[in-house]
This record gives sequence, structure tokens and C-alpha cells, in this order.
Amino acid sequence: MERKYINQKDWQEFIEGKIGENKIYAPIEKGKFLFFEILNEENFKKVVYDKARTVEPLKIFLYPFKERVYPEIKNFPQIIVMGVTSCDLASIEILDNVFKNGDFKDPNYSKRRENILIISFDCKIPYDTCFCSLVGIKPYPEKNFDLNLSKVKDGFIIEIGSEKGKDFLKNDTRFYDISKSQIEELEEGRKNVCQRVNEINKGFDLSNIENLVGMYQTEYWENIKDIKNCVSCGSCNFNCPTCVCFLLEDTTDDCDFKKVKVYDSCLFPGYARMASGATPRPTLYDRYSNRLLCKYWYMKENFKILGCTGCGRCISGCIGKIDKRKVINEVLKEKLKV
Amino acid sequence: MGKNIYEPIKCEVIDNIKESPTINTIVLKPEKEFSFLAGQFASLTVPGIGEAPFTPSSSPFDKEKIEFTVMKTGKVTEKIHELKKGQIVGIRGPYGKPYPIEKFKDKEVLLVGGGVGLAPIRALFLTLVETYKDYKKIVFCCGARTPSDYIYKELIFDQWQKLCEKIPLSFRITVDKKDNNWKYMEGVVTCTLDNLNIEVKNSVSIVCGPPIMMKFTTLKLLEIGFSEENIYLSMERKMYCGVGHCRHCMIGELFVCKDGPVFAYQELKNKPNIWV
Repeated sequence: MERKYINQKDWQEFIEGKIGENKIYAPIEKGKFLFFEILNEENFKKVVYDKARTVEPLKIFLYPFKERVYPEIKNFPQIIVMGVTSCDLASIEILDNVFKNGDFKDPNYSKRRENILIISFDCKIPYDTCFCSLVGIKPYPEKNFDLNLSKVKDGFIIEIGSEKGKDFLKNDTRFYDISKSQIEELEEGRKNVCQRVNEINKGFDLSNIENLVGMYQTEYWENIKDIKNCVSCGSCNFNCPTCVCFLLEDTTDDCDFKKVKVYDSCLFPGYARMASGATPRPTLYDRYSNRLLCKYWYMKENFKILGCTGCGRCISGCIGKIDKRKVINEVLKEKLKV
Repeated sequence: MGKNIYEPIKCEVIDNIKESPTINTIVLKPEKEFSFLAGQFASLTVPGIGEAPFTPSSSPFDKEKIEFTVMKTGKVTEKIHELKKGQIVGIRGPYGKPYPIEKFKDKEVLLVGGGVGLAPIRALFLTLVETYKDYKKIVFCCGARTPSDYIYKELIFDQWQKLCEKIPLSFRITVDKKDNNWKYMEGVVTCTLDNLNIEVKNSVSIVCGPPIMMKFTTLKLLEIGFSEENIYLSMERKMYCGVGHCRHCMIGELFVCKDGPVFAYQELKNKPNIWV
């Protein structure tokens, strides 16, 4: 992969020069967390390059909370999203499988996907809830980006992940070839972050996650005390980069058959309830276990990849303070008891 | 760029027939041809109200019109019952896998339908009748709660029975509770499976009805000697997209919309809460 170096001041000027051309979203710190904001002449210097993932997952740009699917939306703006981390890049593969690669294509997804340029960042200071290492993902991007930025001393190492990314740099003379010592700095830094993620997750083990296969039975899940704290708020679903469930609303305001897609949550008691009132998932345990089985089994079965990228948003956003890693470890132990 | 998956085919309502106190059959004329195979379903939109999945109950060979037999249960079905001739609705599909009739070849085919579950069975039955030479015989077991709850009364009690003289077909008809004029069996639909004159080892069974009926019918069929792969069930779940995106209809890792709605019992037997 082609790598370049640019010093911080030059990069900021380079990005400043792009502000008028495209809508650029980048992570800006608010309180203790990072949120995507549209860059302007004032905030572009505040972009945070060396921390962790944003609060919002990447899916908000590819599959927004609410959008019309019929009649078709004609024009999608070209956007640039900076600060996407490795966990969110992994989610693209799930989203592609659901909305783009199957026999039935979502009318909007592919167009949004074509119109996005992704400039990812290395994750430098993972949160305590991060667990990418447990699901086989590195805290630094390896694929699915157009450009990746790794903060090093005084500047950035830029990895070029696609032709689109290369075109974006347009042979700008501010990008230099990288030196051996810069590569060493990059690798050393990445090694340290990997160690940090391992350290954070030393009490958890998802290496036997495939044992969740077949664990529909409520008995296993009823013994996990923490699940009782779930208030069915749906935060884990809405913040998850790979949760794709939606419902369709019918309206007649633009045409007779207007359809709008809106996120739904499998933790909501009414999610699978049919018109008759019957539901196949009547208890909280049925719903909670369904979400985990969907991530670690169903999606694997459907798309041959795990439906979890280890971003930890479902843990940090949980108002019931449920740590999914702990739940999985406990439920797998329950299975061994039987 | 292909057609938008959510684009419906507009259909004119040409009739809305009252079948029973809670069930109507709507007859639609699509503005362009809508082809389907028995067992597949379509998503039917009542403009501005909502959309719900239904399996057409008419013959797949009828290219002029399409019929859906619908029980009044919720918001959308209530509006379907109120549709007037000339109104426009939308359908999209067909979705899902049809009944695997190629596997029925040279077999004895046992159809078991209860209540509104006779709707998908009707489309299958009409298909089998068209191709009756492919099967050894057809045994059609029908059930409903009371005689007035029966749908397709004219067909079941008259027209279809006349076919028995021409093709290897027989009927077993029951109600849970009979009235004074009832001349068939009394008892839940499983009672039609007693003393069946079929060769179980060379038979397939197709079951559609309310969950409780499908459960006990399946258990009875297993008891009679049907193998799990020869019992076909039509599953119903909450559904929005119909194309495997929204994930509402999942039964374990299976999608009712894509992998079903017709499943062999073998595929479902270890799945959670299937009889809902």
C-alpha cells in the first residue's frame, strides 16, 4: 500500500482548501466524546486525529435513521467522512451484504456508498468498552478506506487505499515519501495500541464465540443477571454500526405509495409482534438473546462474517450498564454446565 | 440501475368478496402482469395506511387478476376489508420460495388447511389440479371453526368436489363445532387425518393454518409416519421489506421472506417459538 507523509500544518491547510468543494464530516470533541461535525473555516483546526471512534457509527452516512425509499431520491451529495475507525470500516462489509450484494438492492445505499470518500484514522486511545481485538479486528485500518491517517510526530502518515483516495490527493506537493524511521514509529505506535486493547479485554474471551450457535433456549439466558437491567431502549441497536433493522412507513404526502425506511430495534417488545398480537419473542430474554445471536451467529451464517466489529458502542451507550462481553462469557459458561 | 425494489405495481380492486364474518377475498387487476408460483407471497399496500404480506389465493395460471384472502386482524387488513371496487392498491413481489411441487411428482399429496390458512393452499390446489397427472392422488383436508367460518364455500362444498369424478382427488371436511345442516365431519382438523387412505411413505403433506393448528397437525403427521422433510409448513412473521433486509421475519438464522415462507418441518424443528 502506498504511503505518504504530510506535516500537520500542511494537512490542515490541505483540508481547509477542500472545505468549499465538498461537505466534510470530521470528529470534533464535545465533553469526553467525539462527534461528527461538518467542517467549516472555524472548526477545521479542532479535528481530533489521535483518539478513538466517534459516538455515531459510520452507518448514519450510508443508511440514515430515516429516509425515503420510494419514490426514489434522485441526488445524493458527495461527502467526505474523516475519522472513521477500523471497527466502523469493518461494518461496511455487513452493510454491503445486506443492502448491495444480494439479489435485492436497496434503492439508496449504493448511491450513498459511491458518493462517500472515507478518510479513516488509526485508533490511538481506545475506550474501556472497545473490544475489536476480541472479534479479530485491528485498532488500525487495514482495508475499506480511501485514505487512512496515522498521527505520528509533527504530522501524519497517509495510506492510500483506493484510486479515489489517490485522486483526492491530486499529486499535491505537500505529501512526501516516508522514511524508515517513520515506518518504525507507525508500527511501534500500532503495536502499543493493540497491546492496550488486549489489556482492556484481558478479562474476556470470545475465542469460542461459535458456541453461541444453537443457543436459542431461554433457560441459558435467564440465568444471566445483567440482562434484567435491559430497559429495551434500543440504544445498542441504533448506535451499532452493523444493526440494520428497519421498518417501513407508508404515507401519501408526495405520491400514493410513498415509503419511508426508519430504524427499528429488535429489543423493542413490539418489534416482532404480529397484527394478531402474538410475538415469537415474548420475553426480554428472547429479545436480548436474539440480538446477540444475530451478531455472532445469524449474520455469520447469512454473510460469512461476524456481525460485530467490537466498537463497544452497545456497552458505552447502555443505560442498564450491561457489558455484552461479560454476558457472552457468562452465557457460554451456562452452556458448559448443561 | 434496476427497478426500485419498493416500487409497487398498481392494481384496481375489481371485487371484495365476503367469505366469512372475519375473512374477505379481494380481487385485483394489476396494471401489468404479476406472475407468481403457489406459496410465494406479495406485499400489499393500502395507500397511506400500510403494507402487509399475503400469499395470493388465486391460481398462478390466471394472468388477468390476482386474489388475496385476508382475515381482518389489524390496521391494514381492516382497510382491505373496506376497499371498494375501483380503488387502487399496490402490490410488490412475488417474494420467497414457492411450494416445491417438483418434489411432489408421482407422490400422494396431502393438503391440510385450516381457516384462513386455506388461502395459500387454494393457490397450490389450483396448481396441482392443472398438473394432476404428475401426482398419484390429492387428498384435501379442510377445517374451520364453524360452518359459517368456512371460506370458499361454493368451491369446497360444490365446485371442487365435482372434480373428484375426473381426477384422483378426495376431500375430508370438518368443523370444530357443527350446526344442524352440517353433513361432514366434526372435530378439529387433525381428526381428518385419522384412517387416511394414503401410502405415507410415498406422500408429502402441506399444512397451512393458525399456529396451533399447524403444531398439532404436524405432530399428528409425524405420528402417522410422515418424515420431517415431507411436512411443508407456511410460516407467518412480522414483515416489512420482504427481501431479506429488515430482518423482522427471522426465525433463528432463517428469513421467512427469503428462505420461506414455505419450510419443511425439518428446517424449523429446532428453531425458537415456531408455533406463534
